[in-house]
Amino acid sequence: MKSDISIELPEARKQTQLRTDGAAIIVRGLDKSYDDNHVLNNLSFEFERGKVYVIMGPSGCGKSTLLRHMIAAETPDAGEVMIDGVDIHSPSRRVRDEARRKFGVLFQSSALLNGLTVAENVALPIQRHTDLPQSTIDLMVKLKLELVGMGGALDKYPYEISGGMKKRAGLARAIALDPAIVFYDEPSAGLDPVMIGVIDKLIKDLTTKLGITAVVITHEMPSIFRIADEVLMLFNGKIVFRGTPDELRSSSDPLVRQFLKGDPEGPINAPRQLSELSERLIGSSRKGTQA
Amino acid sequence: MQPVINLISGIGAFVNRYIATLGAAVKFGGVAAVYGVAGIFNRRIYPRHDLIVQIDYTGARSTPIMILLGFLVGASLVIQTTPSLARYGPGELVAGVVGVSVLRTLGPLLAAIIFAGRVGAGFTAELGTMAVSEEILALDTMGIHPVGYLVAPRFLAACVMLPACTILFDLAALSGAYVVGIYQFNISHESWMDVTKQFVRLSDFTFGLAKSVIFAVIITLTCCYKGFNVKGSGMEVGRATMQAIVISLVLIIFADFVMSMVYNFLSKLGIVG
Repeated sequence: MKSDISIELPEARKQTQLRTDGAAIIVRGLDKSYDDNHVLNNLSFEFERGKVYVIMGPSGCGKSTLLRHMIAAETPDAGEVMIDGVDIHSPSRRVRDEARRKFGVLFQSSALLNGLTVAENVALPIQRHTDLPQSTIDLMVKLKLELVGMGGALDKYPYEISGGMKKRAGLARAIALDPAIVFYDEPSAGLDPVMIGVIDKLIKDLTTKLGITAVVITHEMPSIFRIADEVLMLFNGKIVFRGTPDELRSSSDPLVRQFLKGDPEGPINAPRQLSELSERLIGSSRKGTQA
Repeated sequence: MQPVINLISGIGAFVNRYIATLGAAVKFGGVAAVYGVAGIFNRRIYPRHDLIVQIDYTGARSTPIMILLGFLVGASLVIQTTPSLARYGPGELVAGVVGVSVLRTLGPLLAAIIFAGRVGAGFTAELGTMAVSEEILALDTMGIHPVGYLVAPRFLAACVMLPACTILFDLAALSGAYVVGIYQFNISHESWMDVTKQFVRLSDFTFGLAKSVIFAVIITLTCCYKGFNVKGSGMEVGRATMQAIVISLVLIIFADFVMSMVYNFLSKLGIVG
């Protein structure tokens, strides 16, 4: 683990990518429905630069859909998302690509290209978007992988490494172009507690040392309290809470309280769904037995 | 009245959906073709190494199966056709019949069917797996056009290598036919070559080759499009692969029919030989 390496803010990013004024991300009136299911309900918020934002909420609350809209994996029914001042949903592919170069994404599944080695995966965005000679790219790749403690796995293929290593390699790829923003989709999913701690430290270090704005989708409570500068809680496609981790702890909102305590009883109606499910299962099993 | 309205609206929705899919597939094909050609000059669209890998996968690795099946098809044609022809005239005519049918239809069609099964299925499964594991989305978020990066080299390689495979298949089929004709039915080498020269024209070969380019476009775009649009789990990859092959085969055979009709029409007008 070499995440304590001191990294200077790259000159290229200072000059060309990272604006210093305005919010890093602006979401205005974002709305999305799938048939009758209103997943995002007129969401509006702004994220400042150089902070870690955690978006949490119960399953199906719309947090993954929100992330997919922020990275333009889906098109909203209404509203807009501005990434560092650029409309990510612009009809022009050129503008969308300009916005995309301002952020990196660590996917839940890491989404490393299986046909490429770890080093080739990290090199890919650099090769596509810069005119740097291969020797410089190789050096940059090595640096990024060292930063996430993966210096020894340059020539390994994604299917040859563990889940935690994949996440770190995915993170190295996400920061390959020194983006202003990094989105993390469930970074702790499928990892052991120690590896979750490693990833959390990396997220925090990248923000404090490189000034990257981090947007983390998770419902891993220890992680939230370790890394978050601000927390947003979604429920039924709406923001029901926004505040610091301390404010989250002291919140009296019944939705927040139930979510923090993991209580099956409360306004998040998991118990009813579960009881209906068990009723259906037991009911059908009984019928099957009788038949 | 309501059932009639429902029926009409259902048909409208069905047609609308298929027109939308067709439009998306055509756009997908256009983008793949443009990026395929542009990528030859601009290394940022896809690595040239990928084009070489795809040429190897689609072409070089298809060689043994093309030669084997081509030889067997040519040999079978002669075995099954010669006795019938011999009942009504000289059996040597089989050289011409097999030559024309292999070069104009059977060669391009069977090579395309083998290509769809071997290469097209691979395209759908590979791209479908990448779609399910979010690799295609990852490319997109990195500002790399996934169609340019993944489909363009496959498209270009297939458009070059299916005609090459068709030539191989034709040669193997004509060789198989020749060997069986000479050694099984005792047709002399001179008669075989004479009849072949009388029946077969260069345009038969070029028409077959032109067909194979169209077949390559159909197979690559159908299979890559289906792979790109896989959503959900690995089970969907299998379903998409099956659908891609069925659609490819239907479109190939339909295109073969249409092109034969057009050729026949142009031939009557004296525009083609």
